[in-house]
Amino acid sequence: MSKHPITLTINGQEYNLYVADHHTLLQVMRDQLDLTEVKYGCGRGECGACSVLVDDEKEASGRKAIDSCLALAVTMDGKKITTSRGLGENGQLNTVQQAFVEESGIQCGFCTPGMVVKATSLLEKNPNATEEEIRFGLEGNICRCTGYVKIVDSIKKAQKVINKK
Amino acid sequence: MTTSVVGKRIPKVDSKDKSLGTAEYAGDIRMKGMLYGKIIRSLDYAHAKVKSIDFKEAQTMPGVVKCLAPKDVTKNGYNTTIMKLLVPEAFNEVFGEISEMYIFNTHIKHQGDSVCGIIAETEEQAERAAAKVKIVYEPLPVYLTAEESRQPDAVQFTPSKPGNLASEFDPGFFPDKAYGWPDAETDKWGDDLESECDVVVEDNFYLNKVKQCQMENNCAVALYDNRGRLTCWSSTQMPKPVQVLLAELFELPLSRMRYVTTIVGGAFGARLGMVCEPHACAMAMAVQGRPVKVEMTREEDWIASETRFPGDYKMKMGFKKDGTPVFVDAHFTGYKGAYYTHGGGPIFCAAAFVHGMYKWQTMRMKGDSYFTNTAPVGAFRGYGNPQTSFVQEQLVDVACEKLGLDSVEWRKKWHKTIGDETWLKGVTYASDDLNSCIDIAAKEFKWYQKKKKYATQKGPKRRGIGMAIMNHTSGAWPMLLEHTVSTVKLNEDCTVEIMQSVSDLGTGGHTAIQQMAADTLGWPMEDIHLTTGDSDVNGFDVGAHASRTVYCGGPATMEACESVKKQLMERAAQLLEARVEDLEMDSKKIISVKGSSKKSIDAREIAKQGVYNFFDAATGKQIGIPGQIQGYSSYLANHCSPPMGATFSEVEVDVETGQVKLVELVNAHDIGKAIHPPSVEGQLEGGAQQGLGQVLCEDMIYDKEGHCLNADFTDYKMLGPTDMPKAKIILVETAPDPIGPMGAKSCGESALMGPIGSVANAIADAIGIRFTEAPITPERILRGIKESGKTFA
Repeated sequence: MSKHPITLTINGQEYNLYVADHHTLLQVMRDQLDLTEVKYGCGRGECGACSVLVDDEKEASGRKAIDSCLALAVTMDGKKITTSRGLGENGQLNTVQQAFVEESGIQCGFCTPGMVVKATSLLEKNPNATEEEIRFGLEGNICRCTGYVKIVDSIKKAQKVINKK
Repeated sequence: MTTSVVGKRIPKVDSKDKSLGTAEYAGDIRMKGMLYGKIIRSLDYAHAKVKSIDFKEAQTMPGVVKCLAPKDVTKNGYNTTIMKLLVPEAFNEVFGEISEMYIFNTHIKHQGDSVCGIIAETEEQAERAAAKVKIVYEPLPVYLTAEESRQPDAVQFTPSKPGNLASEFDPGFFPDKAYGWPDAETDKWGDDLESECDVVVEDNFYLNKVKQCQMENNCAVALYDNRGRLTCWSSTQMPKPVQVLLAELFELPLSRMRYVTTIVGGAFGARLGMVCEPHACAMAMAVQGRPVKVEMTREEDWIASETRFPGDYKMKMGFKKDGTPVFVDAHFTGYKGAYYTHGGGPIFCAAAFVHGMYKWQTMRMKGDSYFTNTAPVGAFRGYGNPQTSFVQEQLVDVACEKLGLDSVEWRKKWHKTIGDETWLKGVTYASDDLNSCIDIAAKEFKWYQKKKKYATQKGPKRRGIGMAIMNHTSGAWPMLLEHTVSTVKLNEDCTVEIMQSVSDLGTGGHTAIQQMAADTLGWPMEDIHLTTGDSDVNGFDVGAHASRTVYCGGPATMEACESVKKQLMERAAQLLEARVEDLEMDSKKIISVKGSSKKSIDAREIAKQGVYNFFDAATGKQIGIPGQIQGYSSYLANHCSPPMGATFSEVEVDVETGQVKLVELVNAHDIGKAIHPPSVEGQLEGGAQQGLGQVLCEDMIYDKEGHCLNADFTDYKMLGPTDMPKAKIILVETAPDPIGPMGAKSCGESALMGPIGSVANAIADAIGIRFTEAPITPERILRGIKESGKTFA
């Protein structure tokens, strides 16, 4: 194994790192940078608990959410990344997170950091998403607690708030 | 007037933390000098003897600190389950368990069983070294069903269970090894009883092996410090019992065994006891002074932690032609998995919830289980009840059809009610408004309109509707110990600290407990804080299982808060020279004589003076009353106030593909009083996802060598956001429970049962074919259609 120098900007902070070529972005964030808000749920792109936003990979109008367990850290060199902790300003909640709090869209909370990241991306790309589109957009993020009912309610609430602004 | 928070849709206390991701789960723990432990598991063999372990190459790998074989850790056996602590010692084996598990095993009984361990500086180094350990196995025959392992020549799993008969109803408690209520002399069975019936229905069912799939993988961190004290951090449901089991396993007094629960990333029964805590502790004891973390991968979680109890379940019911239920006779033979985890508990409960539902004249249910070379079974939300829903609710529909009776009306007439015995003999229902649940849900669902509408259908897509009712429990008294200790400390600024062990599995338990405290004291939520999860601070508590947190824990909180309030009022009475009964306290904490606002005192003064107690220099008199106020409760529940509920489901079956589309689900629940309504709804909505998965798609599949073929989220299908039906949850609060705190009954496990029975019934309604094997997959539906010879023009 060899190590490579890379630069990542996560939640606005720049990190100059040496990363092993086989380490994923998830491993680097959790193990090297202690960014434990990015969760390890399966390690193989099935559950979405490790979702982060890649700020510079815009699709249509919104940022792209990826499974950080599927991205090798070396391939992310130079990228700007946002985790659940960086969604709002100054460590506060963004509209989506606020809606999750108000609508009780959170139970055990383990899927939540990934869920709010995915929902933020979804609403950026499609502010007028129908319920069907919201549900389809969440298919890569597993929640075992809520049956998705209050998660969808939360996103619909956030959508209303965003579209009013 | 005080502002009540109970019943309000306030944000949960932990939701900001969880939405940011700053909430700390066990896997997020980082400590100075922390080492990583890897459990080496048998992945190729589900049944084998370990002949030898060779660490030669592994111990030369970079970063390796220690390699541990079975001989290097405690020889004491254990059982992950905590049940034995919750029953008198004499009943340990009946309800509890035997200690036949080891940290590292030489007789491998399932794929994923632990063989040995590696401790290294990093997780990756531990994993790389683990790959270099050479283990020689001697394979043994693999038994996947009860039928296979009960054969006389089968290899014995454990000496104390001859014939691999893991559990059966103990004849000492259950005459004829059956759960039922008639006494032996008047009881009639078999042909005698059947001949008195006009309609008899029966069938054999198979129940699937379902996985809890909590999103947070199991992880434990342990430190054996230089004072010889062991501390373990993990995300368990049962902090206190886990502390006790670990102390027993490592032969430590409780004063030298500390257990701390982190935030719990879901559990659903998967953490009703120990998982990898024994391994983390054993490793920590091998490297005194350095913490060791053991984090299971998702695949390990799947193959090496406990699952729902699968098995063969047969049931027979007899009725008079007017619908009078005469008898139910059932037998559940479980596939126990590799160990005696949770004993026969879930099977007993499957029988118990049959007992709690309908007014049979007589009932008999037997239950036994045989070891199998599959992941051990244990607790999973519902604990036997989901299995019963699949069987019982289908047979009731079959019977009603034969009797020519409306199955909704039959259920309304014959379900148990106030005064009838609940799931447990001798304990009677204290409240019930199931019929309101049924009526409200039927109306919301438009049951009778749909019934008419779908009576004549054509084409390959057929709609069907079904309903089911359920009974459950709030805590497990008197079968199991129900004890919670709460200490409420009054701070000198007149806010409170609740010290109580409460594992919030995502249920909203921490919020509900603090709401109950706020209302009891009459103070705002901001003045309440809960310190929980640390055995050094918290008194005894059973844990978060059996839907007990609000029902059994809430009263402890309330009692301790009442004590604080009482002490404040007593001091106020003394200072105001008034009688306690003449005083009242407002939401601003001013205590005054009723009707006389002039004669009053600020409770904050009393709290402050209790701590900062001085003498008046001028008069030499003591100012205020000395002593910090503390409230305490050691609460033992005295009932189990079973909740009931009704679920209506609509499906669309595609007879060409076998696909079932979930169209609508309405679930009305007799909650009594919802302390935090969004949490109650959340339990019912989320539970539905698990129940619907159990009836439609979830099942652990093993090949004939005992390898699990779907130990991941792709191959083990759970229902996703687009699979879920339009769902409506209705909280019925018309019958507050006279015993439950503030009228509350439970909701934690109740949500799974109705969706299971109602969807099975809806599928049968859609295509006229009954399915007796769960899950009802497209393959089974197509096979059923083919075997029936039915055509759907």
